[in-house]
Order: sequence, then C-alpha cells, then structure tokens
Amino acid sequence: MNKNYLVLAILMILLAVGLLLVPERQNYQQIEPEKLMWDITQTSRFVTVDQVAQMIIEGDPTLELIDIRPVADFETFSLTNAINIPLDSLMKPDYQDYLGIEDMNVVFYGNSDINADQAWVIAKRMGYNSIYVMQGGLNCWIRKIIQPVEPDESASQEEFDLYQFRKGACAFFTGTKVEAPDAGKTGIKVVKRKKGTAVAGGC
Amino acid sequence: MHVHELNPKKTVITMIIFVVVIIAGLLTIRSPRLKYALTPEQTVLLTASDNGGISPEKLELLLTGSTEKVEVIDIRNHYEFARGHIPGARNISAVELLENDNIKWLRILQEEGFTVVIYGKDQLQANGPWMVFRQIGFSNVTVLLGGYQYYLAYKDNKTQKYAPCKADFNYDEVAKASVADGEDNNQPAKKTTIVRRKKKGGAVAGGC
Repeated sequence: MNKNYLVLAILMILLAVGLLLVPERQNYQQIEPEKLMWDITQTSRFVTVDQVAQMIIEGDPTLELIDIRPVADFETFSLTNAINIPLDSLMKPDYQDYLGIEDMNVVFYGNSDINADQAWVIAKRMGYNSIYVMQGGLNCWIRKIIQPVEPDESASQEEFDLYQFRKGACAFFTGTKVEAPDAGKTGIKVVKRKKGTAVAGGC
Repeated sequence: MHVHELNPKKTVITMIIFVVVIIAGLLTIRSPRLKYALTPEQTVLLTASDNGGISPEKLELLLTGSTEKVEVIDIRNHYEFARGHIPGARNISAVELLENDNIKWLRILQEEGFTVVIYGKDQLQANGPWMVFRQIGFSNVTVLLGGYQYYLAYKDNKTQKYAPCKADFNYDEVAKASVADGEDNNQPAKKTTIVRRKKKGGAVAGGC
C-alpha cells in the first residue's frame, strides 16, 4: 500500500478530531455589533402610546404586546392581550417562541421605555425583526390615554383631534360612559389621521 | 490496483492540494472587527443588575474633584452638541461610535483605566450604544442617567430623584379611578392569548 494514502488517512482523522473542537453553533443568528449599532440609531423602532391604543382598539391581529415588567406587576395591571416576558427571563427558551412569529409586530413595553429598549436591543441582537418599543411606557400610557389633558384653546385642530381620540380610547380601556356619538366619531376620524403624524408629542 | 497508483506523484499532488486548500481556508476565515464579549444571557443579567450608570451628581464629582480618569462622550449630533454640552465632553455622534479611530481610542482609554461616560439627549438615546459597548467588551463604559435633559435640570436644581424605570402611578388604581360605572376590562386575558399565539404559522396551510 502506498505510504501517501496512510499519511492522507491520518490527516483526515486529525481533521475529524479537529471538527469536534469547533465551537457549537448557536441556534439563533446574531447580527453583528456594527449592524446592531446602526439599527439602534434609527428611531423607527418607536411606536407611540396613541398608535398602540389605536391598534388595540382596532383589534389589529398582527399586534403582539410584550410586557417586560416582573410577573407581579403584570398581574395587577397590563394592556389588553399582552404577554408577560419579564426582562430577566427574556432568554429562556419558553419565551423565545413568542418572538419571531411571522407577520407579528412585537411591541415591548415597561414602566418607562428604558427597560423595554434594553429588551429590544437584546432581541435585535439575536436577529429578531418587526420588533418595536412603546415610547414612554406605561407611565406615558396613563398620562396620555387614561388621563388625557385637554389642550389649550389656542391649540391646533390636530391636537384637539388627538385629545378626542384619547378620550375615546380612555373610555374604551376603562369602560367609562362617554356620549356615544363623540367616541364613535372620533374613532373613525383618527384612523385617517394617525398613520403619518403619529410622532407628535413625546413623553 | 487503481490506475493512479501507477503514478505515485498523483497522490502527493492530491495531498498537497488538500493541505493547501485547508490552510488557505483557515487563513481567510473572516475575523470580525468587533466581537461580542457578552452572551445574550449575560446581557440580560447586565440589564437586571446594573441599572444604568452614573448620576449627574456623581459625574460632577468625578469631573471636578477626584483623581479618577474620566472621559465624557456626547453622542448627539454635532448641531445639538454645538448648542450646549457638558464641559469637557467629546462629541462622537451615535452613528460614528464604532468607527475604527473611535474604537482604537476607546481601547486605549480602557487600557489606561479611564471611565467612559456616554450621554445623549435623554437616557433612551444613550441606552442602546451603552449596551452595544458593554456587549463588545468595553466594561469601562457607563451611561449618564437621564441624559443631557436631566443634567440641565440638575444644574438648574429643578431635580427630583431620577428613577426612569419606576412606575409613576399605581396603574391599576388609576385605571379603576377612571372607571365611572363601567366594569374593569384591564384584566389580562393571558391564558387564552398564550394558547392562541403559540400556534405559530401552521394554521396558514391549506386554504381553498
């Protein structure tokens, strides 16, 4: 037998042993730090509380709200149909199933937007797309939706429309009785308006 | 007997090509410029334990009195920076943070034991970059709580304690207080929801 074959065979075996030492591949595809930083500098990941309220009221089937507060907080109060993934268990496999569902827009929220943004950064790093952060968090939700403040008389029509929408939304979420035509009308009115100019006013 | 065994050189050539290809492969493995030093799990722990950086009071102290080596980076754009910034801050806007020169500079700072404080217009703006820096191994990078807005308020002595992640309200009570005489529909319908979501994409298959 040719000696070269023997050498070749030994080489192959060595390489095969080498394969065993190759680090195990993770089951998710991480994005590179540069890409992550680039995505972070984009503000398109933020949705306003008004947009979220709008989607809940319309029953948007693509909306997936994720509450990143601790379980106890979630159980006392949460948004409609929200799922609870406490920030510290974000990486647990059970919860991973809720991310990355096709055609779902995941919106993270917490008390404020800092923790939700942290969840967003980690999820983004792991390659999940269609994920968003509710700007201002629940604090902003209460201020704007549950306790809307009537704008000054000098305010623009848009601000009044927004206020009407928020009053309607407040009625929707708390069950307050509001004059029916008012709530109904503004509901439709704002549907038209909302899409483009949602950026107005941050918490 | 195989044909090429008549020519022993052929196996030598094959072997050489084989080895050369493997060596070439090893040499050209793309080594990424920046690597994650923390796993996602560790990052989760980071967010849980280190609730973000340094208060303006403490920064002030570091910048004036102490002997600790501090470098402050303002990640807002140049225009905002020009309109006002923390004295001694260096302006590197968020999109430029990972440029080669800046990474080199940060590595030097890290070796020399500097604390690097980054801030944006609010804490949210600096939160992402801070997390990226921590994840790629700059453990000396910290974030200014509340960002520039809160720093200015602190300077004007209009501050209350900055607690961004606390609930400002007792949500449940506030929501209930707003209820005049309706029923409370804030109860999470979580059990049913979870079942529904878990279904994933399977249902799509087989329409008519």
